[in-house]
Amino acid sequence: MWTWNNLWHWAGHPLSWPGFVGMLVGAVVILLLALLVVMYSIYWQRKFIGWMQWRIGPNRVGPWGLFQTVADVLKLLVKEDVIPANVDRTLFLLAPIFAFVPAFLVLSIIPFSAHHVFTANIGIGALFYVAISAITIHGVMLGGWSSNNKWALIGGMRSAAQMLSYEVPLGMSIVGVVLMAGTLNLNGIIAAQMHTVWYVIPQILGFIVFVIAGTAEMNRTPFDLPDAESELVGGYHVEYSGFRFAFFMLTEYVYLLAMGGLMATLFFGGWAGPFLPGWLWFAIKIFIFFTFQFWLQATLPRIRQDQMMSFSWKLLLPLALANLVITAVVKVLV
Amino acid sequence: MNFVWNGPMIAFYVLALSVLGAGILMLSVRKVVYMALSIGGVFIGAAGIYILLGAEFVAVAQILIYVGAITILMMFAIMLTNHKAEEEPFRWTVRNATAAVGSVLLALVLLAVIRSTTWPVQSANLNLNGGNSNPVAIGLVMFKQYAFPFELVSLVLIVGLVGAVILAQERKEEE
Repeated sequence: MWTWNNLWHWAGHPLSWPGFVGMLVGAVVILLLALLVVMYSIYWQRKFIGWMQWRIGPNRVGPWGLFQTVADVLKLLVKEDVIPANVDRTLFLLAPIFAFVPAFLVLSIIPFSAHHVFTANIGIGALFYVAISAITIHGVMLGGWSSNNKWALIGGMRSAAQMLSYEVPLGMSIVGVVLMAGTLNLNGIIAAQMHTVWYVIPQILGFIVFVIAGTAEMNRTPFDLPDAESELVGGYHVEYSGFRFAFFMLTEYVYLLAMGGLMATLFFGGWAGPFLPGWLWFAIKIFIFFTFQFWLQATLPRIRQDQMMSFSWKLLLPLALANLVITAVVKVLV
Repeated sequence: MNFVWNGPMIAFYVLALSVLGAGILMLSVRKVVYMALSIGGVFIGAAGIYILLGAEFVAVAQILIYVGAITILMMFAIMLTNHKAEEEPFRWTVRNATAAVGSVLLALVLLAVIRSTTWPVQSANLNLNGGNSNPVAIGLVMFKQYAFPFELVSLVLIVGLVGAVILAQERKEEE
């Protein structure tokens, strides 16, 4: 029995052609949404950091500079596609794809609204995010290696080491939430929070580890060592230009969106909230996360390379494990 | 044999072909970094087949550990040690020819055994997870039924970890 509803609720039915079309439409809608959010998060980043530094920020292209990032994206897309002579050509061309595809793939499980339109309601959602986002490391590392440039190589190596080590505390901090909710399904975690409180309160230790490890995982300040402009020129993407460079930037900001969505889901009740519709609550929570990240970027200096690795393994991981043990003990006792 | 052309069957053939393709690619490319990358493709394809079999948790763990950690560690080692590691182009030698004949024979034997075995037919509504979600079902089996072997495996892992640390330390002292 086919109705218009099947087009949107394909996840609950066996695969059919209309359901397949619905999936495609969903993917395109999410892609457009991601592009729009990325463009305006960059605008907000410039504007917000500008205000914090007593500047005006972009204000020339369009009203209040609203079309500044549109112009920048257009510039990147029409720029000459430069492939330096001595790069490893195949990997140089593949690396931005390896970086971007997982970033877009993890959006497939973020529950954007109460009826999880367009996104998959799979049983292992939280783990899926951690697993898929690990594939991006390949793109960053191969991009740095294939560039045949010492700055790019160092940036790629740093990034691989950093993302690999911070992935462990990130995953461990999620386990505390999973333990409390009793499910890996992201909608199930939201439902569990609706019965009690937002998990940011009981899981405050896990939340702190999650935010720090998540910031490092996204290579954002103060963990932006892989593309440290002042020491590595541009890090792993120094040889990239035009739309390949745009892909690396897109990856970074799509991950910002995905990580914001994951954090809102795990610790702040996802789309749940009074009065306003679910998608708007979700957008507000992600917007606050964005603003927090840009605030960090304008405030903190870069962490030192030799401190960075030991910070993850010697401080964050034990903290996350302690949080896990405390959560388990409390759950058994209460 | 009766083939049913439904979604999972098509997905299986696509996945199986891409796993085999990535495997052949891994054997035929000459640069070590490309080999590490194509073995990552094999791992992802295998994860896809796990999903088709209903083992979502195993699939995601496969991606997390094999693609996310092991392949990257391999590449890391390759990049840090030998920047331009390349194998010599392939040539037919006696050893290669013997290996090829052996592989073909092994494939024939395996095929004959697989075709001659009568496989148990699974009933369509058999629920392996026992009504639980996939990770819960695995957790129940692992911590109740197989709790002791599970702990033994963790012991083996610790021995491996400590052994690796000791090996690395000894080399440092020699220098």
